Amino acid sequence: MRYFPLIWSALWRRPGRTMLVLLQVAVAFALFGLLQGMKTGVDEAIEKVRADVLFVGQSVQGEAPLPFAYMDRIRQVPGVQAVTFADGLLGTYRKPSDVVFMLAIEPSAMWLTLVPDIFKVLPQDLEALRRTRTGALITADVGKKYGWHVGDRIALTSSTLQRNGSGTWPFDIVGMVTDHEFGEAGFIVGNYSYLDEARALNKGTVRNFYVVVSDPRRAEAVGEAIDRTFANSASGTQSGSFRENAQQEMQSIGDLDFAIRWIVSAVLVALVFSTATMTMQTIRERTPELAVLKTVGFGDGTVFVLVAAESLLVYVAAALAGLALACVAFPLADKYVPGLSMPVEVVAIGVLGAVLVALVSVSVPGLRAAHLNVVDALAGR
Amino acid sequence: MSLLKQTALLLRMSLLGLPQRLGLVCTTVVGVTCAVGVLVSMLAMGVGARREAMANVRPDRASLLSVGALAPAQSSIAKATAVLVRDLPGIRRSASGEPIAVPQVSVFVQARRRISHTAVGFPMLGSGPGLTDYAPELRLTAGRMFRPGLRELIASNYCASEYEHFAAGDARVIQGSEWRVVGNFDLGRTEGVCIVYADADTILSAFGRDSYNQVNVMLQSPATFTELVEAIKANPLLRVEARHEAELAAANMQQVNGILDFVSYFVGTVLALAATIGAANSLYALVDSRRRELATLRAVGFGSPPVIASTLSEAILLALPGALIGAGLAWLLFNGRAASPFGFRFHLAVTPSLTLVGIVWALCMGLIGGLLPAVRAARVPVTVALRAT
Repeated sequence: MRYFPLIWSALWRRPGRTMLVLLQVAVAFALFGLLQGMKTGVDEAIEKVRADVLFVGQSVQGEAPLPFAYMDRIRQVPGVQAVTFADGLLGTYRKPSDVVFMLAIEPSAMWLTLVPDIFKVLPQDLEALRRTRTGALITADVGKKYGWHVGDRIALTSSTLQRNGSGTWPFDIVGMVTDHEFGEAGFIVGNYSYLDEARALNKGTVRNFYVVVSDPRRAEAVGEAIDRTFANSASGTQSGSFRENAQQEMQSIGDLDFAIRWIVSAVLVALVFSTATMTMQTIRERTPELAVLKTVGFGDGTVFVLVAAESLLVYVAAALAGLALACVAFPLADKYVPGLSMPVEVVAIGVLGAVLVALVSVSVPGLRAAHLNVVDALAGR
Repeated sequence: MSLLKQTALLLRMSLLGLPQRLGLVCTTVVGVTCAVGVLVSMLAMGVGARREAMANVRPDRASLLSVGALAPAQSSIAKATAVLVRDLPGIRRSASGEPIAVPQVSVFVQARRRISHTAVGFPMLGSGPGLTDYAPELRLTAGRMFRPGLRELIASNYCASEYEHFAAGDARVIQGSEWRVVGNFDLGRTEGVCIVYADADTILSAFGRDSYNQVNVMLQSPATFTELVEAIKANPLLRVEARHEAELAAANMQQVNGILDFVSYFVGTVLALAATIGAANSLYALVDSRRRELATLRAVGFGSPPVIASTLSEAILLALPGALIGAGLAWLLFNGRAASPFGFRFHLAVTPSLTLVGIVWALCMGLIGGLLPAVRAARVPVTVALRAT
């Protein structure tokens, strides 16, 4: 530690050069952080998704919705623990571009535990929804976007008509929910009973069922059993666990592994080479100074450590800056790849990688500095 | 001395001096090599995917979609219409004298990967009679063709190798009933997607549908396409539109290509930034190590503009080999290599035009990286530089 001032002053011998090396390493590690964060973020997001909840939807897109009566039959499938369902109403608020989706549910206690894959809700909010037929729970985002508050009465316009022929659906905001990345579109939660009683068409049908299975390992088998149950009915079902659906969605990114690995190695090779030559150049320019150090009694090992410490300092600082930069960029990339994250492992791998690259790149110039012949160096030979 | 002559002389001098500064030269070259190599290989994915998607496209094939449909998935053609369009002019006839107009329907089914056991969804194509006339490149490698009216299907060899239960002789459950895999085929190229064919009418009844998505027709020649379009226009009963096969294939690729190109250029730009900084740094060092030399030259009458011009040209000249080596490495390592980043497989293709993109990229890196060092070379006061050790 007492050599720190020495290292520090050596670092700023050529401030321009050090700054450029810092910048270069930071950019490289920002790229590493983005790519790796994308990968681990996806893996983590999939891990978090519940494997024991099945989404049971229509087998063919665009077909008639599923009859509500399926619920009892699903309950009887062995391995099924609990069943609930959801429907939806797509509407707009004021302008046609202000799309709001109303998720219609039965406010049962099951929604308290189905979190956080769909939305999080507090018991009192759920209770409020149960008490008010036209009630709605809103997210903070949609509330901010349209200036809605608890107690407000809003009206959505939808192509789903009411029995009286009107496309206007009033709602009373009674509470809040926290949603799970529904994106930019507005999202509110309302009562299924309100939707089903009021609508003119598709009465007694739902969009999908949510099925909790007792053993996550048997989720696939239970899903197949449910699909078999309705195979010969008017509307077939397609069941898949949340985890499996998430995996399918993320497939495309997971397969980019190959590209990520090759990019990261190319970056590291270029980096090692570039910084090694820069350090070499610096050592060459500093030969007389290093010779003086050795003359006043610094050993070969100490000189090596001094030179290596300089590189390490630059690398670790730059790597951390780069990773921080990647974190800042995540919200921007979120539009293309949801669920980006920078777990501790990525930071650890990054810093470890920085230390390794620093040591590799400093090995040749460092040894050269350590084995300097004092007499020749001072004579300028 | 003229400006040009001075520049040329200075450039020659610095190039002759390069072997003594091999390390710094290599830094620039290696940095540019990596940046260009990565950019070219990533772009090669997009080019390869496009090439593979278009490989089987023939100018004498077209598809009929319902009016206004942007893609086959949005199109719906009633059974009666599919019969009517058979008599349109311009359609080639098969050896048995039947018009080659094959109705096709696609439904979504799921399969599991052999390795990871994860589920993947893909379309299963239902085809009417005449599939082999419309697609002569389809060659059975095992088993036989599916028979109309039976729950039988044939799967491409890619399916059979990548997914469970697609080899000839297997049985699988689709829509609650059992289907037999009766054959495997290839399409004369290493097709990247899993393709499964079955009888169109069997699929319609199994999935409770009553209309096809499209009718694929083989034209007498590419030129008879206009004849076909005219005939459709003349018959207001036919609510269909004719599209070239190439047009549909390109539209199908657009989204994947968009993502691939975005990722390529994003990563390429970040890498280029790092390489440019590296190049700037080594050029600074190069200029620094030649400070006295440059000062001497300026003292004997060389102007600032030639010094800047020669340093810039040097930077660009150093970037060029990097571009060529980078593109060359990409070609050596990845050309023809299979990749499957978006659930379908294709081979990377490094083409001359991609190499050109790489070279332009490298020139920009050299130019930007050389700018500041060049200005510095020209602006160091002569007296200071000459006094320096």
